[in-house]
Amino acid sequence: MTTTRRRCAAAALAAAFVLAGCSGGDDGEGAEADGGSGSFPSQPINLIVPYAAGGSADSTARQLAAVAQDTCGAPIIIRNATGGSGAVGFQATLSSPADGYTVGSASIELTMLDHMGISEIHPDDYEGILQYSEQPIVFGVPADSPYQSLQDVIDSDDRVTVATSGTGGIYHLGYESMALAAGIDDRTVNVPFDGAASALQAALGDQTAMVSVGAAEMRPHIESGAIRPLAIAGDPVDYLPEDVPTLHELGIDSETTAILGLYAPAGVPQDRIELLNECFNEARESDQFSDYMETTGLNQRYRDAQEFDQFMGEEYDRFGELIDEIGMGVH
Amino acid sequence: MENWAIGLEAVADPTVLLLIVAGVLIGIVVGALPGISATVGVAILLPFTFVMEPLQGMMLLLGIYGGAVYAGSIPAILVRAPGTPASAASVADGNALTRKGQAERALKISVLASCLGGIFGVIVLALMAPALASIALGFGPAAYFMLALLALTVVASVSEGRMVKGLISGVIGIGIAMIGLDTIQGFPRLTFGSADLTAGINYIPVMIGLFAVSEAFMQFESKAKLKLDVATEKFKASLKWLARISPSGLLGSVIGFIIGVIPGTGGDIGSFVAYNEAKRAARDKSKFGRGDERGLAAAEAAKNSGTAGAMVPMLTLGIPGDVTSAVLIGAITVHGLQPGPNLFSGAPDLVYGIFIGFLVVYLVLLILGWLGSGLWSKLIERVPSSYLWPSVIVLAVIGCYSLRSSAFDVLIMLISAVVGYVLAKAGFPLAPLIIGMILGPIAEAGFRRAMIIEGDLSWIFSPLPLVLLILTLLSVGFAIWREFAHHGSLSETIGMDNTVPPTGATPVVTADGPSGEQGAAGSVDSEKPAPSRSSGQSDS
Repeated sequence: MTTTRRRCAAAALAAAFVLAGCSGGDDGEGAEADGGSGSFPSQPINLIVPYAAGGSADSTARQLAAVAQDTCGAPIIIRNATGGSGAVGFQATLSSPADGYTVGSASIELTMLDHMGISEIHPDDYEGILQYSEQPIVFGVPADSPYQSLQDVIDSDDRVTVATSGTGGIYHLGYESMALAAGIDDRTVNVPFDGAASALQAALGDQTAMVSVGAAEMRPHIESGAIRPLAIAGDPVDYLPEDVPTLHELGIDSETTAILGLYAPAGVPQDRIELLNECFNEARESDQFSDYMETTGLNQRYRDAQEFDQFMGEEYDRFGELIDEIGMGVH
Repeated sequence: MENWAIGLEAVADPTVLLLIVAGVLIGIVVGALPGISATVGVAILLPFTFVMEPLQGMMLLLGIYGGAVYAGSIPAILVRAPGTPASAASVADGNALTRKGQAERALKISVLASCLGGIFGVIVLALMAPALASIALGFGPAAYFMLALLALTVVASVSEGRMVKGLISGVIGIGIAMIGLDTIQGFPRLTFGSADLTAGINYIPVMIGLFAVSEAFMQFESKAKLKLDVATEKFKASLKWLARISPSGLLGSVIGFIIGVIPGTGGDIGSFVAYNEAKRAARDKSKFGRGDERGLAAAEAAKNSGTAGAMVPMLTLGIPGDVTSAVLIGAITVHGLQPGPNLFSGAPDLVYGIFIGFLVVYLVLLILGWLGSGLWSKLIERVPSSYLWPSVIVLAVIGCYSLRSSAFDVLIMLISAVVGYVLAKAGFPLAPLIIGMILGPIAEAGFRRAMIIEGDLSWIFSPLPLVLLILTLLSVGFAIWREFAHHGSLSETIGMDNTVPPTGATPVVTADGPSGEQGAAGSVDSEKPAPSRSSGQSDS
């Protein structure tokens, strides 16, 4: 009797163990070398997201993968490898076999980390598959701010604190780029927070004079009237008020957008890159994914594999100069 | 009142109720497994909610959230392996009760306090959410710094009687948290060029190693000498028992809720602060840290009350109160709804459905948890320790790996296990290390942001930071006073720490403990050093 009970209890523990195994150690098989010829993909595709579960990189990748399972004809296993501003996940992707069975979720940080000495990633180390989203940075102020326009900020002599999502992140560099172009870089101060939500919280609580984050993140606060957008660092976005000027319209030569896309380690055969581009693009065009992007306010913007590679190369060079200019460079 | 009716109607739907039960069950499994937190559980199931109605999806996810935050304490109580960080404060007293053969009692306290704390939190949330939103916004970097300082004084409380070692442990924790890119400038610190160290050391593997795996080492070591299977007492809840633990539970609920409202801090520190205050409020403190029901009730109530607190900034401002509520925002926005003031007027069925549904979550959890606690305590009783502890280590390894898919985290966990073993043998309390790791970065980032914004130290005198500073000074003063009151002089305390008898010393069992507990408590405590306790008890 006692033995039976003990066995039952041991079995319960074993069951718990198996459950943990399912949720945790789910890669491995995909790393096996593909048999060659045959049809690609013939085994599950690993998708490595370099940011935590729940963020825009993660949630869009999960949405896209949900549809792409069908369009690509293979299960897609997502895993989050986080840390080091994305460096951990990027390196995990780049060090995987270049067989097309491991793809990574790309963000603009992929072009920035090398210049800051965080992780040596050169555009030659990876191949773009596609870009699916583009999100311009928006500069906003609390509703009761004395600044009515970006020109007011430029014309004043004030020391202006700017909440960003973190030093070296795209929202920080985007504001530095704007400040340099507008000639106010000596009066503006970066106040780095942990992520866009905390930065917005600081501006909402009047802790900082300005906030620099992505349009989608700022959207709910613009709609509730708590934050006033002063300028867009990219093309106009349809859900923002029409009178919000772009930096170009203000005569400031600066443009910074956050992007989301997919990439693979360098060396993946070109035909596989094309197949991945096709099936993920088909998923991108699906109603399910489009609806999701629309409701979350993330702009869809497609670049094919070549265009994406070229864009990332150009951004890599631009950020190299910018990061050196603001004194964060290591090269 | 009309809104409440709409909310009630929305929840009183078989599908919704079924999803709540499913969510709670999934949450209990997710929370009980070390390393798999409420956040991960919610994030993994988030895509499934996209096809559901907004309220249905939220109910599934809130069930997971509430269930996981509760269930993190099950392994914390049974095997010293907190399933989620918020349960770390329950390890000391919860596991001490288990070792006395009172696992079922500890688990019942845990489920009762968790659920009542959660229900308390949801009621306050429902009644006062918009009014409380301003608290969240008023909390600037300076206030975060001061709050972290105040919370750090908890170290003094959890290491009473061995203050110097506790402080050393806390400083080690703060030091470990400094490894990696610094939070303000992104400057790599103590990384030695390693990419893994640059990414920083996560406190969850450290916590699992320190508490769970080092405990497994201890068990292997002592198995040859001691028979560990303690006979489990049957436990019947009584009104007297309820009356004894409710004041601390209520205190914990209030503290947990307030800390939960402040974005970015969450239940992880709320439970420690609540534990500290419950101890401060108690007249007889001698049993805290060695199986005090009140300490356990306060910590448990605080962590679940904090889940409701975290919903305040999320629903009213669209700012997540903790990482899990950040994911929950995604479940709302995907349906084209934006959290924020407009949500209350635009989608009352959802908002009030969430309030009522979250209440139902905790009622369901109370029933399932209460029925289950007998089962879980049997698990620990029936599984021979030669199976149990290796299973704990295996689960710890898997849990740490699954956290960030990083083998480095497993290495960190194993190193922490060895460090935890050595520190515990040497009489160092381990909780301060985790507290230091959690609070160090909050304090540093808050201080440096405040300095960037103000340019000088003038922020100290703004109202909120000043109040928190005064509370901190009072808390430190209280700790010093208690050390003097107990030991006559401070130097004596320090002297005593140096003459701590090594492992194996037979501790004095508390004079006020029920006689039945003595045998079990004695045999259990002898595996762990119980330094400088003896003088603390003589005057209790």
